Amino acid sequence: MRKTVLITVLFCIALQACNWQSNLPVYGPKTAVTKTENGKQVIDSLDYVLPPFQFVDQDSNVVNTSTVKGKIYVADFFFTSCPSICPKMMKEMLLVRDKYKDNKDVVILSYSIDPVRDSVARLKIYETKLGITSAQWHFLTGNKDSIYYLANKYLVSASEDPSAPGGHIHDGNFILVDRKGRLRGYYDGTNEQSVQKLLSEMDILLKEKNNE
Amino acid sequence: MSSKKILQFIARFAIPIIIILFIYNIYSHGTIIHPGKALFKAQCSQCHGEDGEGIKALVPPLQNSDYALRNLDSIPCWLKFGINHPVIVHDTVYDQPMYPSEIDEVQTANVINFMNREFFKYDREVNPEWVKEKWKNCK
Repeated sequence: MRKTVLITVLFCIALQACNWQSNLPVYGPKTAVTKTENGKQVIDSLDYVLPPFQFVDQDSNVVNTSTVKGKIYVADFFFTSCPSICPKMMKEMLLVRDKYKDNKDVVILSYSIDPVRDSVARLKIYETKLGITSAQWHFLTGNKDSIYYLANKYLVSASEDPSAPGGHIHDGNFILVDRKGRLRGYYDGTNEQSVQKLLSEMDILLKEKNNE
Repeated sequence: MSSKKILQFIARFAIPIIIILFIYNIYSHGTIIHPGKALFKAQCSQCHGEDGEGIKALVPPLQNSDYALRNLDSIPCWLKFGINHPVIVHDTVYDQPMYPSEIDEVQTANVINFMNREFFKYDREVNPEWVKEKWKNCK
């Protein structure tokens, strides 16, 4: 009898744990909106959503908000002449790419924070050096101010600093974005455990329905 | 043989043999952890990999690096001042810069000794004086 109770309790705890895991947080400030529902004024809160963007990738293709519409994606910020953390970040991002290679619901966006030097041709060479040709992983260049503006909107840091190695500083974050453009996770792209966490949380996010 | 006798046998012979093998293992490897290994893991393995395997065509491998073997005297300079020119390792061109570091002569000698043994299979011990001498001729 006692055993049955114990098993039931453990089962409930385990179930709870699963439930907690299936809810990834939504990052960013919420916006309050007032709307009329059944003749009454109610205040609702809207989730933080990334603003529209448009850049060019290593194959000269335009990549914008509609490229990632209805898909989940991982974003990071890098530059091709980066001597410090970028190679390690690329090594870890290759794990993401390898796992979801055939999944059309997954996109990777790597924004160059040195877009003046990182031309389309240079990004193409960089992709070749990684040993991949991928329609799924976009290396992006474009207007510098737009990229720094967007980094800010992703809630990560990126800036120019002549004293830093390579002339730019940025954190090594991988950012997980859901089908509606909401920020759902931050991971250290130079840390193997953190990237393993990203891989498992991407599976959770893929199961979330589009209209949720 | 009763189970008591088996236990006695283990206590008398097997345990001392295991201890002896353990001690021998530590001594045969010189030290327990090479000081250069710890520094390599902390400072270099992020890009070059813990086994010196490198990253694709971005970061050159160190394992049996022909470029390193041809330029052994330049390694102290690379560790301290970085590399800002393309290098060719195993017929592949690598042109990502390597960044400089604030490393002293003792640390440099330790890392070089670790890499010589582990990656370059080159049987030579260097000391801090040798490192300082090489630093004078860095370009």
